[in-house]
Amino acid sequence: MSDRSSARAARAANPDYKILVVDDEPDLERLIRQRMRRHIRSGRYGFEFAGNGIEALEKLTEVDDIDIVLSDINMPKMDGLTLLQQIPEVNSDIRSVIVSAYGDMENIRTAMNRGAFDFVTKPIDFADLQVTIDRTLSHLDEWRAALASRDKLVALQNELDVATKIQQSILPATFPRVDGCEIFGCMEAARNVGGDFFDVIRLDRGCLGLAVADVSDKGVPAALFMMSSRTLLKGAAVGVGEPALVLGEVNDLLNETNDAAMFVTVFYGVYDPSTRVLTFANGGHNPPLVVHADGSSEELELTGGIALGAVPHFEYGQAKVQLQPGDLVVFFTDGVTEAINLANEEFGLETLQALFEDGKAGSAREAAEMILQAVREFAGEAPQFDDLTCMTLRVADE
Amino acid sequence: MNVQAEHHDGVLVAKVEGRVDSSNSQDFERQLHEAFGDDAGAVVMDLGQLAYISSAGLRVVLLVAKTLGQRNVGISLCSLSGPVQSVFEISGFNRIIQIHENRTDALAAAGK
Repeated sequence: MSDRSSARAARAANPDYKILVVDDEPDLERLIRQRMRRHIRSGRYGFEFAGNGIEALEKLTEVDDIDIVLSDINMPKMDGLTLLQQIPEVNSDIRSVIVSAYGDMENIRTAMNRGAFDFVTKPIDFADLQVTIDRTLSHLDEWRAALASRDKLVALQNELDVATKIQQSILPATFPRVDGCEIFGCMEAARNVGGDFFDVIRLDRGCLGLAVADVSDKGVPAALFMMSSRTLLKGAAVGVGEPALVLGEVNDLLNETNDAAMFVTVFYGVYDPSTRVLTFANGGHNPPLVVHADGSSEELELTGGIALGAVPHFEYGQAKVQLQPGDLVVFFTDGVTEAINLANEEFGLETLQALFEDGKAGSAREAAEMILQAVREFAGEAPQFDDLTCMTLRVADE
Repeated sequence: MNVQAEHHDGVLVAKVEGRVDSSNSQDFERQLHEAFGDDAGAVVMDLGQLAYISSAGLRVVLLVAKTLGQRNVGISLCSLSGPVQSVFEISGFNRIIQIHENRTDALAAAGK
Protein backbone atom coordinates (compact mmCIF):
# COMPACT_ATOMS: atom_id res chain seq x y z
CA MET A 1 0.00 0.00 0.00
CA SER A 2 1.23 3.51 -0.80
CA ASP A 3 1.55 6.07 1.99
CA ARG A 4 -1.48 7.92 0.71
CA SER A 5 -3.74 4.90 0.53
CA SER A 6 -2.61 3.63 3.94
CA ALA A 7 -3.35 7.06 5.42
CA ARG A 8 -6.76 6.93 3.82
CA ALA A 9 -7.35 3.45 5.20
CA ALA A 10 -6.40 4.71 8.67
CA ARG A 11 -8.89 7.60 8.38
CA ALA A 12 -11.63 5.26 7.18
CA ALA A 13 -10.93 2.89 10.10
CA ASN A 14 -11.38 5.75 12.54
CA PRO A 15 -14.19 7.91 11.17
CA ASP A 16 -15.33 11.27 12.55
CA TYR A 17 -18.88 9.95 13.02
CA LYS A 18 -20.40 6.47 13.23
CA ILE A 19 -23.80 5.70 11.82
CA LEU A 20 -25.71 2.49 12.56
CA VAL A 21 -28.06 1.50 9.73
CA VAL A 22 -30.91 -0.80 10.82
CA ASP A 23 -32.89 -2.45 7.98
CA ASP A 24 -33.98 -5.96 7.05
CA GLU A 25 -33.34 -5.22 3.37
CA PRO A 26 -29.97 -6.98 2.66
CA ASP A 27 -29.17 -4.85 -0.41
CA LEU A 28 -29.16 -1.62 1.58
CA GLU A 29 -25.68 -2.20 3.03
CA ARG A 30 -24.14 -2.57 -0.41
CA LEU A 31 -26.06 0.44 -1.69
CA ILE A 32 -24.97 2.70 1.17
CA ARG A 33 -21.34 1.60 0.99
CA GLN A 34 -21.42 2.40 -2.70
CA ARG A 35 -23.26 5.77 -2.57
CA MET A 36 -21.42 7.04 0.50
CA ARG A 37 -17.99 5.69 -0.51
CA ARG A 38 -16.34 9.10 -0.78
CA HIS A 39 -17.36 10.04 2.74
CA ILE A 40 -16.35 6.61 4.02
CA ARG A 41 -12.90 6.87 2.43
CA SER A 42 -12.33 10.43 3.63
CA GLY A 43 -13.05 9.24 7.15
CA ARG A 44 -16.06 11.50 7.69
CA TYR A 45 -18.61 8.68 8.15
CA GLY A 46 -18.24 5.09 9.24
CA PHE A 47 -21.18 2.67 8.92
CA GLU A 48 -22.33 -0.26 10.99
CA PHE A 49 -25.28 -2.47 9.96
CA ALA A 50 -27.99 -4.42 11.74
CA GLY A 51 -30.95 -6.39 10.37
CA ASN A 52 -33.53 -5.64 13.09
CA GLY A 53 -34.04 -3.89 16.44
CA ILE A 54 -32.53 -6.70 18.54
CA GLU A 55 -29.33 -6.79 16.45
CA ALA A 56 -29.22 -2.98 16.60
CA LEU A 57 -29.26 -2.94 20.40
CA GLU A 58 -26.49 -5.59 20.46
CA LYS A 59 -24.44 -3.47 18.08
CA LEU A 60 -24.94 -0.36 20.21
CA THR A 61 -23.56 -2.17 23.26
CA GLU A 62 -20.65 -3.55 21.26
CA VAL A 63 -19.69 -0.29 19.51
CA ASP A 64 -20.10 2.41 22.14
CA ASP A 65 -19.36 5.51 20.06
CA ILE A 66 -22.20 5.44 17.55
CA ASP A 67 -23.59 8.91 16.85
CA ILE A 68 -26.65 8.28 14.68
CA VAL A 69 -29.07 5.39 14.28
CA LEU A 70 -30.78 5.31 10.87
CA SER A 71 -33.63 2.84 11.21
CA ASP A 72 -36.38 1.33 9.10
CA ILE A 73 -39.79 0.97 10.79
CA ASN A 74 -41.08 -2.45 9.68
CA MET A 75 -38.63 -5.17 10.62
CA PRO A 76 -38.89 -8.69 12.11
CA LYS A 77 -38.16 -9.44 15.81
CA MET A 78 -38.08 -5.79 16.91
CA ASP A 79 -39.44 -2.97 14.79
CA GLY A 80 -38.05 0.56 14.48
CA LEU A 81 -40.64 2.21 16.76
CA THR A 82 -39.81 -0.18 19.63
CA LEU A 83 -36.09 0.32 18.99
CA LEU A 84 -36.56 4.09 19.32
CA GLN A 85 -37.83 3.62 22.86
CA GLN A 86 -34.89 1.38 23.81
CA ILE A 87 -32.02 3.50 22.44
CA PRO A 88 -31.92 6.16 25.20
CA GLU A 89 -31.46 3.39 27.77
CA VAL A 90 -28.29 2.29 26.00
CA ASN A 91 -26.97 5.74 25.11
CA SER A 92 -28.87 9.03 25.53
CA ASP A 93 -26.35 10.84 23.38
CA ILE A 94 -27.51 9.09 20.17
CA ARG A 95 -29.78 10.78 17.62
CA SER A 96 -32.18 8.65 15.56
CA VAL A 97 -33.38 9.15 12.01
CA ILE A 98 -36.35 7.04 10.85
CA VAL A 99 -36.80 5.65 7.34
CA SER A 100 -40.45 5.20 6.43
CA ALA A 101 -42.66 4.64 3.44
CA TYR A 102 -43.64 7.79 1.64
CA GLY A 103 -46.89 9.19 3.07
CA ASP A 104 -46.87 6.97 6.19
CA MET A 105 -47.68 9.95 8.42
CA GLU A 106 -48.98 7.88 11.30
CA ASN A 107 -45.71 5.99 11.84
CA ILE A 108 -43.66 9.13 11.22
CA ARG A 109 -45.66 10.98 13.89
CA THR A 110 -45.25 8.13 16.35
CA ALA A 111 -41.50 8.02 15.65
CA MET A 112 -41.10 11.78 16.18
CA ASN A 113 -43.11 11.57 19.40
CA ARG A 114 -40.79 8.81 20.58
CA GLY A 115 -37.77 11.07 20.14
CA ALA A 116 -36.64 10.56 16.54
CA PHE A 117 -34.65 13.58 15.43
CA ASP A 118 -35.74 13.45 11.77
CA PHE A 119 -37.00 11.10 9.07
CA VAL A 120 -36.37 10.23 5.41
CA THR A 121 -38.75 8.44 3.08
CA LYS A 122 -38.38 5.39 0.89
CA PRO A 123 -37.18 4.95 -1.74
CA ILE A 124 -34.10 6.63 -0.22
CA ASP A 125 -32.90 9.74 -2.02
CA PHE A 126 -29.21 9.67 -1.12
CA ALA A 127 -28.70 13.42 -1.57
CA ASP A 128 -31.54 14.03 0.87
CA LEU A 129 -30.19 11.38 3.24
CA GLN A 130 -26.84 13.09 3.32
CA VAL A 131 -28.39 16.49 4.09
CA THR A 132 -30.39 14.86 6.88
CA ILE A 133 -27.33 13.13 8.31
CA ASP A 134 -25.28 16.34 8.22
CA ARG A 135 -28.04 18.33 9.90
CA THR A 136 -28.34 15.69 12.61
CA LEU A 137 -24.57 15.66 13.14
CA SER A 138 -24.34 19.43 13.43
CA HIS A 139 -27.15 19.38 15.95
CA LEU A 140 -25.26 16.69 17.83
CA ASP A 141 -22.06 18.79 17.80
CA GLU A 142 -23.90 21.78 19.24
CA TRP A 143 -25.57 19.64 21.85
CA ARG A 144 -22.22 18.18 22.92
CA ALA A 145 -20.59 21.64 23.01
CA ALA A 146 -23.46 22.88 25.19
CA LEU A 147 -23.01 19.93 27.54
CA ALA A 148 -19.27 20.59 27.75
CA SER A 149 -19.74 24.27 28.58
CA ARG A 150 -22.35 23.40 31.18
CA ASP A 151 -19.82 21.07 32.80
CA LYS A 152 -17.24 23.84 32.76
CA LEU A 153 -19.69 26.22 34.43
CA VAL A 154 -20.41 23.68 37.12
CA ALA A 155 -16.67 23.25 37.72
CA LEU A 156 -16.24 27.02 37.90
CA GLN A 157 -19.10 27.32 40.34
CA ASN A 158 -17.48 24.68 42.53
CA GLU A 159 -14.25 26.63 42.41
CA LEU A 160 -16.01 29.81 43.48
CA ASP A 161 -17.72 27.95 46.31
CA VAL A 162 -14.31 26.84 47.56
CA ALA A 163 -13.07 30.43 47.47
CA THR A 164 -16.14 31.65 49.35
CA LYS A 165 -15.64 29.02 52.04
CA ILE A 166 -11.98 29.94 52.45
CA GLN A 167 -12.92 33.58 52.79
CA GLN A 168 -15.73 33.03 55.28
CA SER A 169 -13.69 30.61 57.35
CA ILE A 170 -11.00 33.13 58.22
CA LEU A 171 -13.18 36.00 59.37
CA PRO A 172 -13.62 36.45 63.13
CA ALA A 173 -17.13 35.45 64.18
CA THR A 174 -16.86 36.87 67.70
CA PHE A 175 -15.12 39.96 68.93
CA PRO A 176 -13.06 40.33 72.10
CA ARG A 177 -14.72 42.17 74.97
CA VAL A 178 -12.30 44.75 76.23
CA ASP A 179 -12.83 47.48 78.80
CA GLY A 180 -12.97 50.93 77.29
CA CYS A 181 -13.76 49.98 73.72
CA GLU A 182 -15.95 47.88 71.50
CA ILE A 183 -15.17 46.22 68.18
CA PHE A 184 -17.30 44.85 65.38
CA GLY A 185 -16.63 43.72 61.84
CA CYS A 186 -18.66 42.41 58.94
CA MET A 187 -18.20 41.58 55.30
CA GLU A 188 -20.58 41.13 52.45
CA ALA A 189 -18.95 39.07 49.72
CA ALA A 190 -19.42 39.96 46.07
CA ARG A 191 -20.89 37.28 43.87
CA ASN A 192 -17.60 36.76 42.05
CA VAL A 193 -15.66 36.21 45.29
CA GLY A 194 -13.16 38.82 46.24
CA GLY A 195 -10.37 38.80 48.72
CA ASP A 196 -11.30 41.09 51.60
CA PHE A 197 -10.61 40.13 55.16
CA PHE A 198 -10.41 41.71 58.58
CA ASP A 199 -8.95 40.46 61.81
CA VAL A 200 -8.81 41.28 65.49
CA ILE A 201 -5.75 39.93 67.31
CA ARG A 202 -5.26 39.93 71.08
CA LEU A 203 -1.80 41.18 71.97
CA ASP A 204 0.19 41.68 75.19
CA ARG A 205 -0.74 44.29 77.81
CA GLY A 206 -4.37 44.37 76.75
CA CYS A 207 -3.57 45.77 73.30
CA LEU A 208 -5.50 44.78 70.21
CA GLY A 209 -4.18 44.29 66.70
CA LEU A 210 -6.71 45.46 64.11
CA ALA A 211 -6.32 44.61 60.46
CA VAL A 212 -8.37 45.19 57.36
CA ALA A 213 -7.14 44.01 53.97
CA ASP A 214 -8.07 43.64 50.33
CA VAL A 215 -6.40 41.16 47.98
CA SER A 216 -6.11 42.14 44.35
CA ASP A 217 -8.20 40.05 41.98
CA LYS A 218 -10.77 37.33 42.57
CA GLY A 219 -11.26 33.60 42.67
CA VAL A 220 -9.37 30.72 44.21
CA PRO A 221 -5.82 32.07 43.69
CA ALA A 222 -6.83 35.32 45.41
CA ALA A 223 -8.53 33.40 48.22
CA LEU A 224 -5.38 31.32 48.81
CA PHE A 225 -3.24 34.46 48.75
CA MET A 226 -5.64 36.01 51.27
CA MET A 227 -5.36 32.93 53.45
CA SER A 228 -1.57 33.08 53.59
CA SER A 229 -1.57 36.89 54.04
CA ARG A 230 -3.85 36.55 57.00
CA THR A 231 -1.80 33.75 58.60
CA LEU A 232 1.47 35.62 58.09
CA LEU A 233 -0.06 38.82 59.46
CA LYS A 234 -1.33 37.08 62.57
CA GLY A 235 2.04 35.46 63.17
CA ALA A 236 3.95 38.71 62.67
CA ALA A 237 1.48 40.69 64.78
CA VAL A 238 2.06 38.41 67.76
CA GLY A 239 5.80 38.05 67.22
CA VAL A 240 6.99 41.47 66.03
CA GLY A 241 4.65 44.04 67.56
CA GLU A 242 5.34 47.38 65.87
CA PRO A 243 2.88 47.83 62.95
CA ALA A 244 5.52 49.06 60.48
CA LEU A 245 7.73 46.05 61.22
CA VAL A 246 4.76 43.70 60.97
CA LEU A 247 3.93 44.93 57.48
CA GLY A 248 7.62 44.80 56.47
CA GLU A 249 7.92 41.17 57.54
CA VAL A 250 4.69 40.05 55.90
CA ASN A 251 5.65 41.91 52.72
CA ASP A 252 9.01 40.13 52.49
CA LEU A 253 7.42 36.73 53.05
CA LEU A 254 4.72 37.37 50.45
CA ASN A 255 7.35 38.45 47.94
CA GLU A 256 9.29 35.19 48.25
CA THR A 257 6.95 33.33 45.92
CA ASN A 258 4.66 35.57 43.98
CA ASP A 259 4.97 35.13 40.24
CA ALA A 260 1.38 36.24 39.64
CA ALA A 261 2.18 39.72 41.00
CA MET A 262 -0.67 39.46 43.46
CA PHE A 263 -0.75 41.93 46.27
CA VAL A 264 -2.78 42.77 49.30
CA THR A 265 -3.48 46.22 50.68
CA VAL A 266 -3.37 46.11 54.48
CA PHE A 267 -4.13 48.61 57.16
CA TYR A 268 -2.74 47.36 60.45
CA GLY A 269 -3.04 49.17 63.75
CA VAL A 270 -2.38 48.38 67.41
CA TYR A 271 -4.85 49.94 69.80
CA ASP A 272 -4.01 50.39 73.45
CA PRO A 273 -7.29 50.86 75.38
CA SER A 274 -5.44 52.14 78.44
CA THR A 275 -4.03 55.19 76.62
CA ARG A 276 -6.56 55.30 73.72
CA VAL A 277 -3.62 55.51 71.30
CA LEU A 278 -3.83 53.78 67.91
CA THR A 279 -0.42 53.13 66.35
CA PHE A 280 -0.74 52.19 62.71
CA ALA A 281 0.97 51.43 59.43
CA ASN A 282 -0.72 51.56 56.08
CA GLY A 283 0.32 49.17 53.31
CA GLY A 284 -1.45 50.73 50.35
CA HIS A 285 -4.93 50.53 51.86
CA ASN A 286 -7.58 53.22 51.81
CA PRO A 287 -7.23 55.14 55.08
CA PRO A 288 -9.72 54.53 57.90
CA LEU A 289 -12.08 57.28 58.97
CA VAL A 290 -12.10 58.68 62.51
CA VAL A 291 -15.55 59.95 63.48
CA HIS A 292 -15.79 62.19 66.54
CA ALA A 293 -18.64 62.41 69.01
CA ASP A 294 -19.83 65.67 67.40
CA GLY A 295 -20.23 64.00 64.01
CA SER A 296 -17.15 65.51 62.38
CA SER A 297 -14.69 63.08 60.80
CA GLU A 298 -11.34 62.83 59.06
CA GLU A 299 -9.24 60.16 57.39
CA LEU A 300 -6.14 58.83 59.10
CA GLU A 301 -2.94 59.97 57.41
CA LEU A 302 -1.22 57.68 54.90
CA THR A 303 2.10 56.41 56.16
CA GLY A 304 3.84 56.15 52.79
CA GLY A 305 3.39 52.41 52.41
CA ILE A 306 2.99 50.16 49.39
CA ALA A 307 0.57 47.27 48.98
CA LEU A 308 2.14 44.07 50.37
CA GLY A 309 3.58 41.58 47.89
CA ALA A 310 4.37 44.21 45.27
CA VAL A 311 8.06 44.94 46.04
CA PRO A 312 10.36 43.23 48.54
CA HIS A 313 12.50 44.89 51.24
CA PHE A 314 10.35 47.93 51.70
CA GLU A 315 10.52 49.92 54.93
CA TYR A 316 7.05 50.85 56.06
CA GLY A 317 6.37 53.98 58.05
CA GLN A 318 3.99 54.26 60.98
CA ALA A 319 2.06 56.95 62.82
CA LYS A 320 0.01 57.36 65.99
CA VAL A 321 -3.32 58.94 66.69
CA GLN A 322 -4.67 59.86 70.12
CA LEU A 323 -8.34 58.90 70.14
CA GLN A 324 -10.90 60.62 72.36
CA PRO A 325 -13.79 59.15 74.35
CA GLY A 326 -16.73 58.61 72.04
CA ASP A 327 -14.57 58.41 68.90
CA LEU A 328 -15.41 55.81 66.29
CA VAL A 329 -12.79 54.47 63.88
CA VAL A 330 -14.19 52.99 60.67
CA PHE A 331 -11.85 50.57 58.89
CA PHE A 332 -13.16 49.58 55.49
CA THR A 333 -12.25 48.42 52.01
CA ASP A 334 -12.74 50.34 48.79
CA GLY A 335 -15.77 48.17 48.03
CA VAL A 336 -17.62 50.58 50.34
CA THR A 337 -16.59 53.91 48.85
CA GLU A 338 -16.37 52.61 45.28
CA ALA A 339 -19.78 50.92 45.26
CA ILE A 340 -21.70 52.22 42.26
CA ASN A 341 -25.40 52.68 41.58
CA LEU A 342 -27.22 52.18 38.30
CA ALA A 343 -26.32 55.74 37.23
CA ASN A 344 -22.65 54.70 37.63
CA GLU A 345 -22.11 57.13 40.51
CA GLU A 346 -19.77 56.17 43.34
CA PHE A 347 -20.89 56.00 46.95
CA GLY A 348 -17.81 58.02 47.84
CA LEU A 349 -16.15 59.16 51.02
CA GLU A 350 -18.44 62.20 51.42
CA THR A 351 -21.54 60.00 51.61
CA LEU A 352 -19.81 57.84 54.19
CA GLN A 353 -18.92 60.91 56.26
CA ALA A 354 -22.43 62.33 55.93
CA LEU A 355 -23.85 59.21 57.62
CA PHE A 356 -22.32 60.34 60.90
CA GLU A 357 -22.93 64.09 60.69
CA ASP A 358 -25.78 64.01 63.20
CA GLY A 359 -23.40 62.67 65.83
CA LYS A 360 -25.42 59.50 66.42
CA ALA A 361 -23.00 56.77 65.44
CA GLY A 362 -24.35 54.30 68.01
CA SER A 363 -22.46 51.16 69.00
CA ALA A 364 -19.64 49.63 66.97
CA ARG A 365 -22.09 47.11 65.59
CA GLU A 366 -24.79 49.66 64.80
CA ALA A 367 -22.29 51.87 62.98
CA ALA A 368 -20.92 49.03 60.84
CA GLU A 369 -24.36 47.73 59.96
CA MET A 370 -25.59 51.24 59.18
CA ILE A 371 -22.74 51.67 56.69
CA LEU A 372 -23.41 48.41 54.86
CA GLN A 373 -27.13 49.16 54.81
CA ALA A 374 -26.49 52.62 53.35
CA VAL A 375 -24.25 51.15 50.64
CA ARG A 376 -26.87 48.53 49.77
CA GLU A 377 -29.58 51.18 49.50
CA PHE A 378 -27.34 53.40 47.40
CA ALA A 379 -26.35 50.60 45.00
CA GLY A 380 -29.95 49.47 44.53
CA GLU A 381 -30.19 47.06 41.63
CA ALA A 382 -26.61 47.66 40.48
CA PRO A 383 -24.49 44.48 40.68
CA GLN A 384 -21.96 44.31 43.50
CA PHE A 385 -18.51 43.84 41.96
CA ASP A 386 -16.43 44.01 45.08
CA ASP A 387 -16.62 42.76 48.65
CA LEU A 388 -17.90 45.21 51.22
CA THR A 389 -15.94 45.08 54.44
CA CYS A 390 -16.38 47.28 57.44
CA MET A 391 -14.77 47.01 60.87
CA THR A 392 -15.45 49.53 63.62
CA LEU A 393 -13.64 50.46 66.82
CA ARG A 394 -15.77 52.44 69.23
CA VAL A 395 -13.96 54.19 72.10
CA ALA A 396 -16.20 54.20 75.18
CA ASP A 397 -17.74 57.47 76.29
CA GLU A 398 -16.21 58.97 79.38
CA MET B 1 -12.14 49.06 28.33
CA ASN B 2 -9.89 49.32 25.35
CA VAL B 3 -6.14 49.48 24.73
CA GLN B 4 -4.69 51.19 21.66
CA ALA B 5 -1.02 51.04 20.82
CA GLU B 6 0.89 53.80 19.02
CA HIS B 7 4.59 54.20 18.27
CA HIS B 8 6.49 57.42 18.94
CA ASP B 9 10.20 57.29 18.01
CA GLY B 10 10.87 53.85 19.43
CA VAL B 11 8.60 54.37 22.43
CA LEU B 12 5.42 52.37 22.52
CA VAL B 13 2.47 54.31 23.86
CA ALA B 14 -0.53 52.27 25.05
CA LYS B 15 -3.65 54.34 25.46
CA VAL B 16 -6.12 52.83 27.91
CA GLU B 17 -9.77 53.84 27.86
CA GLY B 18 -12.77 53.04 30.05
CA ARG B 19 -12.94 51.14 33.33
CA VAL B 20 -10.76 48.26 34.48
CA ASP B 21 -12.05 46.06 37.27
CA SER B 22 -12.10 42.37 38.13
CA SER B 23 -14.68 41.67 35.44
CA ASN B 24 -12.32 42.63 32.62
CA SER B 25 -8.83 42.55 34.15
CA GLN B 26 -7.91 39.35 32.26
CA ASP B 27 -8.89 40.99 29.02
CA PHE B 28 -6.85 44.06 30.04
CA GLU B 29 -3.82 41.84 30.66
CA ARG B 30 -4.20 40.13 27.29
CA GLN B 31 -4.60 43.43 25.42
CA LEU B 32 -1.51 44.91 27.08
CA HIS B 33 0.58 41.84 26.27
CA GLU B 34 -0.54 42.05 22.65
CA ALA B 35 0.17 45.78 22.51
CA PHE B 36 3.67 45.46 23.97
CA GLY B 37 4.79 42.48 21.94
CA ASP B 38 8.46 41.56 22.24
CA ASP B 39 10.28 44.46 20.66
CA ALA B 40 9.34 47.62 22.56
CA GLY B 41 12.36 49.63 23.75
CA ALA B 42 10.35 51.69 26.24
CA VAL B 43 6.70 51.79 27.16
CA VAL B 44 4.38 54.60 28.22
CA MET B 45 0.84 53.89 29.37
CA ASP B 46 -1.37 56.88 28.72
CA LEU B 47 -4.19 56.64 31.27
CA GLY B 48 -5.86 59.95 30.34
CA GLN B 49 -9.06 58.18 29.27
CA LEU B 50 -9.05 55.62 32.09
CA ALA B 51 -12.03 56.42 34.29
CA TYR B 52 -11.54 53.79 36.99
CA ILE B 53 -9.09 51.08 37.95
CA SER B 54 -9.66 48.52 40.69
CA SER B 55 -7.03 46.49 42.53
CA ALA B 56 -7.42 43.71 39.95
CA GLY B 57 -6.41 46.26 37.30
CA LEU B 58 -3.49 47.47 39.41
CA ARG B 59 -2.26 43.89 39.61
CA VAL B 60 -2.12 43.76 35.83
CA VAL B 61 -0.15 47.02 35.70
CA LEU B 62 2.24 45.63 38.31
CA LEU B 63 2.60 42.34 36.44
CA VAL B 64 3.34 44.14 33.17
CA ALA B 65 5.85 46.45 34.90
CA LYS B 66 7.62 43.45 36.44
CA THR B 67 7.70 41.51 33.16
CA LEU B 68 9.06 44.51 31.24
CA GLY B 69 11.52 45.23 34.06
CA GLN B 70 12.99 41.73 33.68
CA ARG B 71 13.62 42.58 30.01
CA ASN B 72 15.11 45.96 30.97
CA VAL B 73 12.28 47.79 29.27
CA GLY B 74 11.36 51.01 31.05
CA ILE B 75 7.69 51.71 31.75
CA SER B 76 5.97 54.88 32.91
CA LEU B 77 2.41 56.16 33.21
CA CYS B 78 1.02 59.53 32.25
CA SER B 79 -2.04 61.79 32.28
CA LEU B 80 -3.78 60.14 35.23
CA SER B 81 -7.21 61.56 36.12
CA GLY B 82 -7.82 62.58 39.75
CA PRO B 83 -9.48 59.35 40.92
CA VAL B 84 -6.94 57.10 39.15
CA GLN B 85 -4.06 59.19 40.51
CA SER B 86 -5.39 58.71 44.02
CA VAL B 87 -5.68 54.92 43.55
CA PHE B 88 -1.97 54.87 42.64
CA GLU B 89 -1.07 57.10 45.60
CA ILE B 90 -3.07 55.17 48.20
CA SER B 91 -1.78 51.78 47.02
CA GLY B 92 1.76 53.18 47.00
CA PHE B 93 2.23 52.13 43.38
CA ASN B 94 3.33 55.68 42.53
CA ARG B 95 6.54 54.67 44.35
CA ILE B 96 7.07 51.65 42.11
CA ILE B 97 6.14 53.05 38.71
CA GLN B 98 7.11 56.44 37.31
CA ILE B 99 4.12 58.73 36.79
CA HIS B 100 4.26 61.80 34.55
CA GLU B 101 1.76 64.61 34.31
CA ASN B 102 1.40 64.42 30.54
CA ARG B 103 2.49 62.43 27.52
CA THR B 104 5.13 64.95 26.43
CA ASP B 105 6.95 64.63 29.74
CA ALA B 106 6.62 60.84 29.67
CA LEU B 107 8.02 60.59 26.13
CA ALA B 108 10.87 62.97 26.94
CA ALA B 109 11.81 60.88 29.99
CA ALA B 110 11.47 57.60 28.08
CA GLY B 111 13.64 58.89 25.22
CA LYS B 112 16.60 59.66 27.47
